Amino acid sequence: MSGLFGNLSFGSPWVLFALAGLPVLWWLLRVTPPAPRREVFPAIGLLFGLNARSETAARTPLWLLALRMLAAALVIVALARPVFNAGGELAGSGPLLLVIDDGWAAAPAWTARMAAAQSALDRAEHSGRSVSMLSTAPPEDGSAPVRTGVMPVADLRTRLAALHPKPWGTDRAAATAALQGVPAGPVVYVGDGLGDDAAFAKALAGVGAVEELRDVVPPVLLPPPESASDRLVVKVLTLPVRVERVLPVLAQSGDGRTLARIDVEVPADADRGTGALIVPAEIRNQLARLVVQGVGSAGSVALLDERWRRRPVGLLAGESVSADIPLTGPLYYLSRALQPFVELREGDLSALLSRELSVLILADHVVTDGPERAQLEAWVQKGGTLIRFAGPATAEHPDTLLPVKLLGGDRQLGGAMSWTQPPGLAAFDTTSPFAGLVVPDEIRITRQVLADPESLRPTVQNGAAADLVWARLADGTPLVTAAPRGAGRIVLFHVTANADWSDLPLSGLFVEMLRRLVAQALGVASNDAGADATPLAPVETLDGFGTAGTPPSAAVAIAANAGRVAASPRHPPGVYGPETNRHVLNLGDGATVLTAAPFIAGASEGALAANVKPKPVAAVLMAIGLALLALDLLISLPLRGLGRGIGRNAAAVALMVAFVGPVHAATNPPEETNPALVTRLAYLVTGDSHVDEVSLAGLVGLSDYVNRRTNAALAAPAGVQPGQDDLSFYPLLYWPVTADAATLSGAAIQALNDYMSHGGIILIDTRDGGTGEGMVEGSRKALARIGGGLNVPALTPLTSAHVLARSFYLLQEFPGRYTGDTVWVQSFEDRNNDSVSPVVVGAHDWAAAWAVDAQGRNPYATLPGGARQRVLAYRFGVNLVMYSLTGNYKGDQVHVPALLERLGQ
Amino acid sequence: MSGVPHPSQALSAKALGARLPPLLVAAERVANTVFQGVHGRRRVGQGDSFWQFRPFVAGDAPGAIDWRQSARADRLFVRQTEWEAAQTVCVWRDGSASMQWHSKSMAISKRERSELLLLALSSLLLRGGERVRLICPGTTAVSGGRGVEALAGQLMSVPDDIALPPDVALPRHAVAVLIGDMLSPLEEIALAVERLASRRIRGQILQVLDPAEIGLPYSGRVRFEGVGEARHLLVPRVEGVRDAYAERLQAQQDGIAAICAAAGWGFATHRTDHPPETALLGLYTALAVKLR
Repeated sequence: MSGLFGNLSFGSPWVLFALAGLPVLWWLLRVTPPAPRREVFPAIGLLFGLNARSETAARTPLWLLALRMLAAALVIVALARPVFNAGGELAGSGPLLLVIDDGWAAAPAWTARMAAAQSALDRAEHSGRSVSMLSTAPPEDGSAPVRTGVMPVADLRTRLAALHPKPWGTDRAAATAALQGVPAGPVVYVGDGLGDDAAFAKALAGVGAVEELRDVVPPVLLPPPESASDRLVVKVLTLPVRVERVLPVLAQSGDGRTLARIDVEVPADADRGTGALIVPAEIRNQLARLVVQGVGSAGSVALLDERWRRRPVGLLAGESVSADIPLTGPLYYLSRALQPFVELREGDLSALLSRELSVLILADHVVTDGPERAQLEAWVQKGGTLIRFAGPATAEHPDTLLPVKLLGGDRQLGGAMSWTQPPGLAAFDTTSPFAGLVVPDEIRITRQVLADPESLRPTVQNGAAADLVWARLADGTPLVTAAPRGAGRIVLFHVTANADWSDLPLSGLFVEMLRRLVAQALGVASNDAGADATPLAPVETLDGFGTAGTPPSAAVAIAANAGRVAASPRHPPGVYGPETNRHVLNLGDGATVLTAAPFIAGASEGALAANVKPKPVAAVLMAIGLALLALDLLISLPLRGLGRGIGRNAAAVALMVAFVGPVHAATNPPEETNPALVTRLAYLVTGDSHVDEVSLAGLVGLSDYVNRRTNAALAAPAGVQPGQDDLSFYPLLYWPVTADAATLSGAAIQALNDYMSHGGIILIDTRDGGTGEGMVEGSRKALARIGGGLNVPALTPLTSAHVLARSFYLLQEFPGRYTGDTVWVQSFEDRNNDSVSPVVVGAHDWAAAWAVDAQGRNPYATLPGGARQRVLAYRFGVNLVMYSLTGNYKGDQVHVPALLERLGQ
Repeated sequence: MSGVPHPSQALSAKALGARLPPLLVAAERVANTVFQGVHGRRRVGQGDSFWQFRPFVAGDAPGAIDWRQSARADRLFVRQTEWEAAQTVCVWRDGSASMQWHSKSMAISKRERSELLLLALSSLLLRGGERVRLICPGTTAVSGGRGVEALAGQLMSVPDDIALPPDVALPRHAVAVLIGDMLSPLEEIALAVERLASRRIRGQILQVLDPAEIGLPYSGRVRFEGVGEARHLLVPRVEGVRDAYAERLQAQQDGIAAICAAAGWGFATHRTDHPPETALLGLYTALAVKLR
């Protein structure tokens, strides 16, 4: 019992003294019979003297008495405002000080933090204390944290409700300063567990008894990833806990799509986890941010800008005039190969090198000695990848910025003066970066520059033999050579970048090789050396929960060359700068470790989750009490003789409900299922759910159109299976032929033949004719395969002279979703069947043209398109329905001109 | 009726007057259903209705010959009318406050039903050529087709507060019909009946009761209050006294029946939830015997 009622406390305990009055109430109820009902009665004279019997029955029954006592007790207890889980009494005396960490680390469990703070306020209100509050993060305007004055709880609730987590950290020093002069009293500290600050802890402890509440899940900080050659190294910082954690990190594009996901494992008792995000370059270029899933704080979002995304590739040709000429220019193939997945830049060398650049490709460009060479050399030494393509100029004047020493001139392979055939490529060595790429046979190299064999000797570098040759011809001649220079590398293709010397730029292998090379290149340095002090205005900043939004008014621009800037109210984390020069500021920029704060000495520790909300139960008890009183009223009515009327009313209500129910049910009569009673179109169920849906939707649309335009009344169409369903009720069968249609059973063929011979019409649609040719591969073959057993008469093209073209509308063409194909009907007039063609064969996918969706729209576009084609499709459908319903009745229309002429004579 | 009528009295009279036409129509309707089943004296005698043509025999007054009928044949015919011995029927309905009561399940009060029966009976009697007189000082007997309307007008002037007919000089050998709930003490009823019987007036009493007065359909603790009187009675449990009440009511009816039997009168009961036609037919046939 103590477990149940131990947490129960009362807001107005003195009301409970009223319970002592219950026995008096008992006695009063016991002796007071229920109030009599007044009745006017003329024959009262006959009643006098009859009341000798059974006065005792007028006493209130014992159980009713108990019910009333219970109701009264409940009402009294409810008035005493009982509260479950009110929490412990606040220690000490004096006003409560509520300290809340509202930095980024507080965002993940913000709701629980607010609940805990509210709970503390509840307790303060309960014990009649006033409250002051201190939030430790600087507010948006950048000022220092300020403690509110001591105020009543109700006033502080609105301030607490307005509090939200900030996208920057707490300022414990300023908070410590704000604690000066706090009146002594209990302290409730809703902390984030970060930042070891002894002065702050001491200041808090100095105010009074501290109760510190923390989330059991430590905060998570995601610093920006490090860019490696083919991957992003993601590091997640957190505080050590005793269990292993797995933090999913989502790589998202700018529009919020998640492009990749990795699980970063944080081992038990570790304060960080690392994972590698390996994505193709083109995907990587789209990444805008990394997010630790399920955390929801500014610290769990790492925004990415060009530093992570792009590997800018510079292109430079020896002769800029002809460089971009289609099919012959040296840069034409390069730019087309690289365009999809890298950012290409063109210009002169100094302009290219003035900006960050990952890869520079020189196509037959001779590097002149002097500043140009020095500039390039320095750039390569710093980590640039220089890719060179040979060519006539290079062959003539080989410079020294090459991986190998070249022999003068070039080598012609094959041709009129040679007895060798142009060789192809050899398979790549396993040590080559191109390893694994498949070499097509058709590549032929007709000319190349030759490396000096002396310079090809393996050089020992860093203790390992570095293979200089990355690709060879079939005869072993080096085709691609490479050599490291400092942090960078120089790669030489011994052929031109256009198709003059070889087929290589024409092949897909060329693209693959270039992508390998670019992917292998280092990402550009994290800071743009050439950046100036251009102010970059905040474009989009994160709020405390890591959601991007418009920057707050206090956010100001950062200089492009400012280096690392810490997130602060003036510079909230987010995206800065114009479209062409985006910089991101992350909360985790440069962060290496998270510092855990120990619990404040002497504080009572608690977890947020354990802090249950106090539940006032007064309303529940009052409701139960009043319900019991209402029940008592209902019970005592019959005792007073009033029950019959109520019973009658209840019966009337029940009767009304019983009537209304059937009335509503009657408004929707059940769908008529007997096919013989209504006229409806039907389609053959193919088993392909999509095709069947289209057929149904098409016939629904056609039936609707026919019902609107003509006097025919078609019910909802049905799907039939020949051989199983009776076909004789349907005037028209639509039969879409699928490529994988199952062979018809004997019974099905028999049913279809019967149907055709007894006046039914089948519209066979292979759905691949005219403008829709090739849309359904193989349906004609399927028709030939499965239609062999059908008694299809000899067919002739449908012309505008046929009854089918005149049965309702006068039609010249018979389009469906497609148009242009021939529609076939029976060629001769079968008198037995009133000259009605039992089969219409076409390929215009009529059902798709007729189809309407639930909103009444046509979901399938017509080809070549246009509203006219749709209308004509519907008109053909109407004609077909009319033809199937009236047979050759309209055949006379064909002869109308002749008849008129005869009448005129 | 002296001088200028009191405004409220005029108003209530007007209200009653407004009620009259439908009441008359209802009375006529009820009377018609009964009249078709019952006919008059069926004897030749003094009257207005044609009864038969009889061949002229010696001794008949020549003035009795119906020349129009005689001209159609070779013989002479005498036209005879049905005997109509007009007799005065004195009617009374209880107009006291208790008669205006009706239980919740009923739409009409006992008084309404009593007046309906009274007027319908009067209509029947007037059609039969009788004279009808309301037992009330200052009234005269009415007769003829428009007599019912005159009677209805007279009903308005009957004082409402007396349960039994006052002592009025009535023609001897008349027939009296008393309609009311007859809940007065038996002595008073006996006195009223004896007073009439002493003038050789035969009669009929119809007790009109509300179903609630017969079944006592209440339950629980009920405080009963009289109509128009200060008496009240708290019954703790009505179910317990229902049987005793039924016995009391039966005793009252038996008493009235005994009084009537002693005076040679008839006695019948009627419930307002039963159709008025049956009660009217019973009354009429009982009267027809007495009027013969």
